[in-house]
Amino acid sequence: MTEISITELSNDLRNAIAKLETTGNLDEVGVVLRVGDGVAWVRGLRNAGFNEVLQIETGEGIVEAFALNLMEDEIGAVLLGEDSKVKAGQTVRLKGSVLSVPIGPELLGRVVDPLGRAIDGGPAIKTKQQGLVEREAIGVMGRKSVHEPLMTGISAIDVMFPIGRGQRELIIGDRQTGKTALAIDTMINQGKQNTGVVNVYVAIGQKRSKIARLVERLKQEGVMDQTIIVATSPADPASLLYLAPYAATAMGEYFRDNSQHALMIYDDLTKHAVAYRQMSLLLRRPPGREAYPGDVFYLHSRLLERSAKLSDDLGAGSLTALPIIETQAGDISAYIPTNVISITDGQIFLETDLFYQGIRPAISAGLSVSRVGGAAQSGAIKSVSGGLKLGLSQFRELASFAQFGSDLDEATKSQIERGQRLTELLKQHQYLPMSVWQQVASILAVTKGYFDTVPAAKIKAAQASMLTRLWADHKKDMTELDKGAKPTEEILKSIELTALSTAKGFEG
Amino acid sequence: MTRLSRRAIATYVAQQLTTGTDSKKVVLQLAAYLVDTRRTKELSLIIRDIQFYLSEAGSVSGVITTATTLTAETKKAVEKYIKQQTGATTVALDSFIDPSVIGGVKVSIPGRELDATVSRNLTILKTRFKKA
Repeated sequence: MTEISITELSNDLRNAIAKLETTGNLDEVGVVLRVGDGVAWVRGLRNAGFNEVLQIETGEGIVEAFALNLMEDEIGAVLLGEDSKVKAGQTVRLKGSVLSVPIGPELLGRVVDPLGRAIDGGPAIKTKQQGLVEREAIGVMGRKSVHEPLMTGISAIDVMFPIGRGQRELIIGDRQTGKTALAIDTMINQGKQNTGVVNVYVAIGQKRSKIARLVERLKQEGVMDQTIIVATSPADPASLLYLAPYAATAMGEYFRDNSQHALMIYDDLTKHAVAYRQMSLLLRRPPGREAYPGDVFYLHSRLLERSAKLSDDLGAGSLTALPIIETQAGDISAYIPTNVISITDGQIFLETDLFYQGIRPAISAGLSVSRVGGAAQSGAIKSVSGGLKLGLSQFRELASFAQFGSDLDEATKSQIERGQRLTELLKQHQYLPMSVWQQVASILAVTKGYFDTVPAAKIKAAQASMLTRLWADHKKDMTELDKGAKPTEEILKSIELTALSTAKGFEG
Repeated sequence: MTRLSRRAIATYVAQQLTTGTDSKKVVLQLAAYLVDTRRTKELSLIIRDIQFYLSEAGSVSGVITTATTLTAETKKAVEKYIKQQTGATTVALDSFIDPSVIGGVKVSIPGRELDATVSRNLTILKTRFKKA
């Protein structure tokens, strides 16, 4: 057999392709019939496929669009650029591919638009691979149950509503209740705890100034190097807002498929649904409840289904999703919130009242839940989390009753007092995620009663003092505890002694 | 009455024309239908669709656009190329001179186009530079 030179074969192929490209072919073409509001109606192109990219030749270059409505006589295509350049009568060609975006480690540390173009003023991004924007989710056999923790660094979440790698946990609440802050802290924690998890933050219709502030903060915290930001602003066409989460997921999937772990933050899916509603109405699809189209559930379910923990055969990578939903006046029974609640594996509900009472993060213990994260909780955290959620929700109920009268029995009083201490303890400043040992020691100090003599107002100070002392005196034990294993008797003893001696200095 | 799609109307007309029905009769039928259904505005689109179905049946009509006058030989060569590409039995191309194409040739037949003009290459170049 003749020896085949791969280099020669590759060169021959390249030349043949180049020749074919320059010779020109009879391309299938269509014509723009009308255009407006970011939608172009095209006649012709009978072989166009759903989601296929169309190229409209304008006087100032080619404007791309993607086909969403394939009808008998015309195609409804959503423009990916400005519609002012597109005019009726312009020629439209098929690109021959569906939408794809650049993927790979080259994107780390960059801010890009949903088409993968750099918008941070840095050099153009050149990646080796492209990923499909719309991709089928991994099948049943390719998955594994969620079993590794994804630490957020926020004690209230890690202890009561643990999130596992590959889980979809919704962050839901009214405006200005700290939804984005929770997501950012989780991203920062990935850097601080060296978890190796890649963050992909999707800003859907967010103000550019907010994105600039976020980038600056992430740089300050040293997390930007393991973060990709896919940003769209309210000035962008609805098509880009619609594409943003899918494109970002394609970028995150690269890490998942290469045995790494990625965290997706969709901020927020309410704006995403609104952008899709705008597109659908302009495409003249029939409106349903709240004027959303009939497939608005599928819009989010197909997106979030791509987050998964892969089986060992597929490399055991994971893609965790933290979608954010904004409610109106705390109404979680509205259309989009109920849809996303039913799709995800739990939700963290943030309450306006708690936020203004100074309880931040304003997590509602009663309405929040994590359906699969318990299995992923580390031994250390599990050892202190038992009954905490129930205790806290009972306390909040009791506390609201206690406002009506002062004649309370001793047991109720002590439950309320401990609840107050616990509430104080779970308050956490923004950008200060806590490590495993800090969370375990703090929770133990309150739930075991070591801090029973400390008034609620002094709890945070006592906690800080105890943590400093523990790190100074028992660094080795705390490093061991940080690894996540169930604490030994020796470690528990050292926490007890330090907590009790710290409490003496803060007695009311 | 259900609204017929342009595709259905064009297919019917093209079928009638290719099977040898009197074209005057077909034209009258179509005109009456369009007036009756108040769809006369769609006439140009329907004609394009009829052209498309006729080309599928082997009768291609189109336009060659160049910046300068085309020689008879070149036109014949283009017609031969179109026959080869589409498998058509008859090809009728109208020549059209448009200096804005700068150079090269553009052949438009129903639903398809070969654009090897300088102006198109410049448009592609412009887009590439914008992306970079």
